[in-house]
Amino acid sequence: MLHALINRYLLSITLLLLIQGCNNEDTNLLASKSIIYCSEGSPEGFNPQIITSGVTVDATANQLYNRLITFSGPENDIAPSIAKSWHVTKDGKRITFYLRKDVKFHTTEYFTPSRNLNADDVLFSFNRILDKQNEYHYISGGNYPFFQSVEFDSIVENIEKINDYTVRFTLKRADSSILANLATDFAVILSEEYAQHLSDLESQQQIDILPVGTGPYKLKEYRAGSFIRYIAHNDYWQTKPNLEQLIFDITPSNTGRLTKLLANECDVVAYPIAHNKIIERPDLTLDEVTSFNVGYLGFNTARPPFNNKLVRKAISLAINKEAILETIYFGKADKANTIIPPTSWAYDKTLPEQEYSVSKAVRLLNQAGYPDGFAMNIWAMPVQRSYNPDALTMAKLIQGDLQKIGVNVTITSNYEWSMFLKLVAEGEHQAVLLGWSADHPDPDNFLTPLLSCASALKGNSRTFWCNQQFDELIHNALETSDLTKRKAYYAQALRIIADEAPLVPIAHSKRYQARNSNIKGKLLNTFGGINFTEASKN
Amino acid sequence: MARENIYQEEEFPSPLLQLWYHFKEKPFIMVAFGCFIALILLALFAPFITPFDSSQNHLDHLLLPPAWNDNGNVSYLLGTDKLGRDMLSRLMHGASFTFGLSFFIVIVSAIIGVIIGSLSALTSGLKSSFLNHFLDVILSIPSLLLAIVIVAILGTGLSNTVLAIVVVLIPQFVHITRNEVKKEFSKDYVLVSKLDGASSLRILRYSIFPNIVEKIIGQATLAQSAAILDIAALGFLGLGAPIPLPEWGAMLSNGIDLFYIAPWTVYFPGIAILFAVIVTNLVGEGLRHALKVRKTS
Amino acid sequence: MLIFTLRRINLFIFTMLLLTLLSFSLSKLFPGDSLINLSGQINATAEQRDVLAEAYSHNDSIIHQYWAYLTHLFDGDLGLSMASHLPVSSEIMNLLPATVELSMVSLLIAMAIGIPVGFIAAVNHKKFTDNAILSIAMIGYSVPVFWLGLLAILVFSIQLGWLPSAGRISLVYEIKAVTGIQFIDILMSDNEYKWQAFQDATAHIIMPACVVAIAPMTIFIRLARTSMMEVLDTSYITAAKAKGLTFWQIIYRHAVRNALINVIRHVGLQFANLVTLAMVTEVIFSWPGIGRWLIESIFQRDYTAIQGGLIALSSFIFIVHIVTDFIYAGLNPLARDRKHGA
Repeated sequence: MLHALINRYLLSITLLLLIQGCNNEDTNLLASKSIIYCSEGSPEGFNPQIITSGVTVDATANQLYNRLITFSGPENDIAPSIAKSWHVTKDGKRITFYLRKDVKFHTTEYFTPSRNLNADDVLFSFNRILDKQNEYHYISGGNYPFFQSVEFDSIVENIEKINDYTVRFTLKRADSSILANLATDFAVILSEEYAQHLSDLESQQQIDILPVGTGPYKLKEYRAGSFIRYIAHNDYWQTKPNLEQLIFDITPSNTGRLTKLLANECDVVAYPIAHNKIIERPDLTLDEVTSFNVGYLGFNTARPPFNNKLVRKAISLAINKEAILETIYFGKADKANTIIPPTSWAYDKTLPEQEYSVSKAVRLLNQAGYPDGFAMNIWAMPVQRSYNPDALTMAKLIQGDLQKIGVNVTITSNYEWSMFLKLVAEGEHQAVLLGWSADHPDPDNFLTPLLSCASALKGNSRTFWCNQQFDELIHNALETSDLTKRKAYYAQALRIIADEAPLVPIAHSKRYQARNSNIKGKLLNTFGGINFTEASKN
Repeated sequence: MARENIYQEEEFPSPLLQLWYHFKEKPFIMVAFGCFIALILLALFAPFITPFDSSQNHLDHLLLPPAWNDNGNVSYLLGTDKLGRDMLSRLMHGASFTFGLSFFIVIVSAIIGVIIGSLSALTSGLKSSFLNHFLDVILSIPSLLLAIVIVAILGTGLSNTVLAIVVVLIPQFVHITRNEVKKEFSKDYVLVSKLDGASSLRILRYSIFPNIVEKIIGQATLAQSAAILDIAALGFLGLGAPIPLPEWGAMLSNGIDLFYIAPWTVYFPGIAILFAVIVTNLVGEGLRHALKVRKTS
Repeated sequence: MLIFTLRRINLFIFTMLLLTLLSFSLSKLFPGDSLINLSGQINATAEQRDVLAEAYSHNDSIIHQYWAYLTHLFDGDLGLSMASHLPVSSEIMNLLPATVELSMVSLLIAMAIGIPVGFIAAVNHKKFTDNAILSIAMIGYSVPVFWLGLLAILVFSIQLGWLPSAGRISLVYEIKAVTGIQFIDILMSDNEYKWQAFQDATAHIIMPACVVAIAPMTIFIRLARTSMMEVLDTSYITAAKAKGLTFWQIIYRHAVRNALINVIRHVGLQFANLVTLAMVTEVIFSWPGIGRWLIESIFQRDYTAIQGGLIALSSFIFIVHIVTDFIYAGLNPLARDRKHGA
């Protein structure tokens, strides 16, 4: 009996191997019609209006939705999307969008649309944000972080439907960044019909959990912490997607993602580590895209000794940025001279280069009245971002640099991320290593959120720095749409930053992504999340 | 030459000495025993003899490969980790945690287990049956799961892990002590003591313990290799030693991020654990073998 | 056999009683409100809390509370997971089959390789083969499982590219979970890519299962070796020799079966050890099983999940234990009348 069992066992193994051998020749593999993207975390929801974290935007914005207008080309010009054209009046206060007529919403297990996209959907999408009376405004908490940060409600007066395919935005004042704001990943168009349908069912909160959009893919299944399965939207108004399935394999561990890439279990990987290892392999490609960001050391200018600008400048002189770039970014980032990256049109090439000079730093410290140095703390952010992949190590390097000018540094980094942000917003720190990624190419997106007085009051800026002259300059720059004038305002503003040194800009890094070389198509853009519209596999 | 010894009696070595003779018969067991002693010494004195402080960062030497590599540096024999800490110093210091603590854990849980075990051997009836079943239940829960539950109650950290593993190991000692004591109790020499009017405790202390102590030591070496693996596993899972401590399991999990760039940060802690466990197992094996040979010869 | 069965049932009931008692007391031992720990409703309002207190007899004596807890358990209600806000019982139903699958395959591998190798060692007792097998077994027994898993991934997934490193099956295959045991689900599904999925699932389980199997395998080698040596010492083997049977006839007809019985007796005891290894291995191979979930639960302070997982996993191990006892008793008539269970 035992003998028979063993025989049968061996037979089945042989059979299994045979089957395996045969089918390898099969070209009709499901895997060849699917892309697996290993992402770094679970999205908190499926609506980028409400959740603006990188993970959520990557997972939703370009896959599920479209916007009225979009960025395109190397210069990030504004290009048509759902709106085939638009018109801005001379005073800059009225913008009329003319919509496409052939845009179809997703047909899913939970909703079947009966009509194409029209002006009602656009009105619904923006009124949800602007109108506190809107039935959907407070569903999912009533916070619209991006729109609040650009003060959308103080710019837009109202939105009207002219006819079924024409929408007009009326503004309270001219704002040169409004089109850029509408082209960001956050300004997506939802389905008004779906909202109606959910109201009838009285399950409004479903709108941000089971999404219906117009994008190239639609949601099939989502399991938090595990995966998202998207399938092709076959009625997509642009070219039909090349894939049957797009799967987000949620892999928070850096090594886990790298392992899956090296073992060919992922086709595309977010934020890869060990770049050299990837470049070594001929079957893998490392993509890099200029990302509008800055990693910086911010001073708490509300507390001594950093309320003294001489001390701030002394520290900024004493930091060896070259060493940091080499160790932390492996030489793959640009040294930051100011907070705006050199690729922005507002960058001023005549701005003097920031120096590294220990002797000058010591002199400034003497001048400031600290001949024997002092003790300070640096808070290092506990998570990885492309603008700062390893804040703790960076803090340790800075610790070593500052020792040379007699400043003793203690490092704080053992808080959990949300707690860390909360304490820093309350001003617990003396100096903090953080960074900023821009949402759109307008330079204002660096200056207002980071250094304006308004953000200092709200605690958004971790420097608590407020300079009236600077504030006036960036305000003036927004009111005009004349590029040379704006440039002049920003050049002045940047000089104030260089002189006052509320923060030490350290690096502008790139966003990296690795993929199997058989994945074709552009996936990353300078702004916003990953985009699988053009992706294909062969 | 005059015989100094007037009695024509052969010298009989004491049981312990006999054990030692049998133990040292196998050369590779002796090698393992040497390594075991060396590990104990290392665990005791590591902080004084490491070439560098185990938490000191050498920022000029981040991720230095081991010395035999072309890019290596002889001052950092086994290379450095991502913060430029010397791997050799960390591994040596780690012996205090992973190996040293396992030693401590086994002693504590053996003492507690033996006490409970011998007391329970003296009871009978319902109480005894309850305890028996209770032990069965505890033994059927995977040790790591039990440790996880205890860590969940107390919170993560090295001292709580130690406590958890102590608790996890106790039932094994209770089990073996109980069985051995019961076995011995039914033997004639115990009956003699009983007839002499010795109390149970006295019998335990003077008649039984000397006879079962080696069995318990045998169990202890098994328990120690389990304890090393458990400390390392909990450290690896991030439930044990906090990050800066050079506990081998935690070091290994720290190195994972750099596995493909700096594989030595993963290889060496793993080899260290493997080495400590093999040495412990070999010593235990030798001990149990010697016991068996002594019994049969 | 009846008495044997009754004895086992008695043991089973007693064990479950103790387990539930343990799990119940955990709700008191864990930090925080024991009512919240039991129900998992962390954001309960005052009214909801009153309802819960009623449901769990929270204001009555401790015995009433325990009884209320037991009734909830019998209804399959293990509370809500504090992290995901889903019922713990449904999470366990999703995860436990993956662990069952992994541990069963590992057990099979460990036995299929360990027992024959152990027999070979016994037959070659005190020869080179025996020593070599024992030394390798010693190393296999001492390797930390997480390190072994990492090395296996490095070699087989990355350098050789033979086997996948994570998960149960590639995410491209959409298999509806009916039984939870993936191989059965795949065969039952009407997916057009069924065979691709089956191969893919097979490729996924090989590496984690082998990693889990290494240490138990070495134990089976030792058990099989000892048990075979004992059998070879018995008088019926001598009798068989006297009959003039060849050595291999003796081994194959008489020794193997009797030696096997003794090994099977220990399977139940080894199983707890195997599941411990499986829990760590699940973390390394991102196997979506209950072990990985439990370890994550600690970081998220999901106490309801820990209690539920403890009960589920321990009962699974205990059931395997009892089943092997029955198999042993079925194979070995001598064991049925013994007064005390193994």
